[in-house]
Amino acid sequence: MQTTRKFIGKDLLGFGLLLVFLILFLISDQLNENEQLNNISADWINVNTIFLSIVLEAVPFILLGVFVSSLIQIYVSEETIQRFLPKNAIAALFPAAMLGAILPFCECAIVPVVRRLIKKGMPLHVGVVFLVAAPILNPIVFASTFYAFRSEPTNTILYSRMGLAFVLAIIIGAILYGFFKNNAQQLRGDTHGHIHVHEHSHNKTGFFARIKQTFYHAVDEFFLMGKYLIMGAFIAALFQTFLDRSVLTAIGSNDYSSTIVMMVFAYLLSLCSEADAFVASSFGSQFTDMSIVAFLVYGPMLDLKNTFMLFAFFKARFVIIFMITVTIVVFTAVLVLFGLIL
Amino acid sequence: MKSYDHSFHAYIQGIILIGFALLMLWLVLSGNIVFYIAPMMMPFIYFAMITFFVLGIMQIFRSTSKDGEGEHQCSCESDHQIKGPAWVKVLIYSIFIFPIIFGFVLPDRMLNSEAAANRGIQYGSGLNINTTQDGTQGISSEEGSTSRADAFLEDPESYYDNNFGQDDDDIEHFQIEDFYDQDWFNEFYEEFAYELEQEDVITVTEENYLDVMTVLDLYLDRFVGKEIEIIGFAFREPDFEDHQIVIARFAMTCCTADVGVYGTLIESDEAHYFDDDTWLYAKGTITKGQYHDFVLPIIVDSYLVEVDQPDTPYVYPSFNR
Repeated sequence: MQTTRKFIGKDLLGFGLLLVFLILFLISDQLNENEQLNNISADWINVNTIFLSIVLEAVPFILLGVFVSSLIQIYVSEETIQRFLPKNAIAALFPAAMLGAILPFCECAIVPVVRRLIKKGMPLHVGVVFLVAAPILNPIVFASTFYAFRSEPTNTILYSRMGLAFVLAIIIGAILYGFFKNNAQQLRGDTHGHIHVHEHSHNKTGFFARIKQTFYHAVDEFFLMGKYLIMGAFIAALFQTFLDRSVLTAIGSNDYSSTIVMMVFAYLLSLCSEADAFVASSFGSQFTDMSIVAFLVYGPMLDLKNTFMLFAFFKARFVIIFMITVTIVVFTAVLVLFGLIL
Repeated sequence: MKSYDHSFHAYIQGIILIGFALLMLWLVLSGNIVFYIAPMMMPFIYFAMITFFVLGIMQIFRSTSKDGEGEHQCSCESDHQIKGPAWVKVLIYSIFIFPIIFGFVLPDRMLNSEAAANRGIQYGSGLNINTTQDGTQGISSEEGSTSRADAFLEDPESYYDNNFGQDDDDIEHFQIEDFYDQDWFNEFYEEFAYELEQEDVITVTEENYLDVMTVLDLYLDRFVGKEIEIIGFAFREPDFEDHQIVIARFAMTCCTADVGVYGTLIESDEAHYFDDDTWLYAKGTITKGQYHDFVLPIIVDSYLVEVDQPDTPYVYPSFNR
C-alpha cells in the first residue's frame, strides 16, 4: 500500500515538472517582456546569457561524445582494442597521437570517449594522449586558427599550435606513463578491475535491442557528464562577465608573465577549441606570439569546464598530476620553441 | 542496490531531456537563439533538439517497463547510478533543471556595453596590422607599424622563404588540410577593396562588417575621404571626450563565450546625446587618425541617428569566401 502511494507521489512530481516546462514554454514570450525581470542587473543577465550559450553550444558535442562512447561500449570488444595496440607502451604513443589527429572531437566530447576506451582496457597513458591531442589536432580547429590569424603571412602561430599539440601529446603521455605504469587503475569506481563485468553476451540480443541499449547508455552518460558541464559553464560564465581583461593585459607586458597570464586565462575562459583562436587574435596586439600559442595549446588541453569532468571520472591524484604535467610541459615547450628555435 | 528506483530515475531524466528540447524549440521558434548561438552552429542545435526529444520519450517508456527484463541493465550498470542520499539526488537534478528554468524565465538579450568594456574593444578588424609591435612604446611610426604586412605585400615570395623555412617539421602532418593559402587571402581583400572603391558610399552591412573592417585596416590610405554608413551600438571608453563615440558590433564565432567587440571611432558634436548601448546609424567621412597606439580609421563630419536593434545583433566571420 505504502509503495503504491510513493509511486503515485513520484509520478505526480515528474508530471508537475513537465507541466512547469510546458507552461514556461507557452508564457516565455510574456516573461521576456516582463518589466521586473528586465530590471535585473545587466551583469547577471550577461552571466545568464553566457552560461546558457556555453551550455547550449556544448550539449550537442556532449551528446555526440556519449553516443560514440556507448557505441564503443556495445560494439567494440576489449580484445579488439588489445589487438590494435602495439605491445610496447612507448611505441603506442605515436600512433595514438596520429589517431587523435584523425578523430574530430572537441574537448567536451573527448572526455566520455576516452573514459570508455580506458574502461575497455586501453592503457591510461594512451587515453591521455587522445585527451590532449584530439581537441587541437583536427581540421576544424586548423581552419579556424588559420582564419583568425590570416594577417600573419608566415602562419607561425598556426603551425606552432599544431606542431606543439602533436609533440606535447606524446610527451605528456610518456610522462604520465612514468607516473602510473604500476598503477593504471585511475578511473573512479575502478577497484574491481574489468574481468568479470563484460561476461554477459550482447550477441543474443537483436538489432533493435542493441540500438535501444545504445540510447539508454547515452542518456545515462549524459546525466553523468552533464552536471559537471553545467557547473563548469556557470563558473566560466562568472569569469567571462566579471573579469576585466585589461587587468590581465596590464600584467602581460613581459614574455614570461604574459605567457603565464594567457595560460591562466585560457583555463578560466573555457572556450571551445574551434573558437578560441578568434579570442586569441583579439589579444594579438597586446600579447607576444609566444603567449598566444601558449593560450591556444593550453586551453583545449585543460580548462575549468574540463577539470570538473576529469575530477568526476578520474581519481583526484591522477587529475592533479595530469594538470601539473600539462601546465609545466606546455609552459616549458613554448619557452623553448620561441626562446631557442624561432 | 534494491532501493535504487530505476523507473523513477528514468522517468525524471526523460522529463528533463524533454525540458531541454522544449527550451531549444522555443528559442528556435522565437528567433531568440541568435542571442546565444552562431548560425554556423545551428545544425548541431537541431541535432541536439531532436535527439533530446527522442531520448526523452524513450526514457519515459523505459520507466514504464518492469525491472528484470534486462532493460535497465548494461554492463556498466553500477557506475551510471546516481549515488548518495536523497538530497544529493535532488541537487543533481536541480543542476539540470536550473538552466531550463533560467532559459525560459530570464529575458533573452544581447550582451551589453559593460561586457564590451570588459572584453576590450577592437578598433578595425583586430588584425593588428596597424599597431606598434610593442604596445608600450607610444606613438607609432609609419614604417614600424606596417612593416610586416608591407614586407609581405611587396614581395611575398622572399618573405615566405625568410620566415617559413623553420617550422617545416611541424607541418608535415597537415599538408592535406592546407587548402587555403596566402594568395587567396590577399586576392580576396584586394578585390573587395577595389569593389568598395567603386561605390560612392561604403555601406557596412551585417554580412560584410568584418570584411570591411579588415579592408579599412589593410588599405586605409585608399579610403581616406570616402563616405561610409554603418550601424552598431554606442560605446565609450572611460577616457573619451564628449565628441568621441564608438559604433560597435559583437562578433560571434560559436557562442557568446567567444564574442569579440569590433568598433569604429566616430567624432561628432552630437555624440554626447546618445547613451551607451543605444543602436545608432552613422554616416560620415573616413579619415586616418590615431587612438592610443593604434592608427585607425575615424569617421568625421558624421550624421548620427538612433535606430532599432537589428534582428541579428551579432555579426559573424565569413568562412566561406
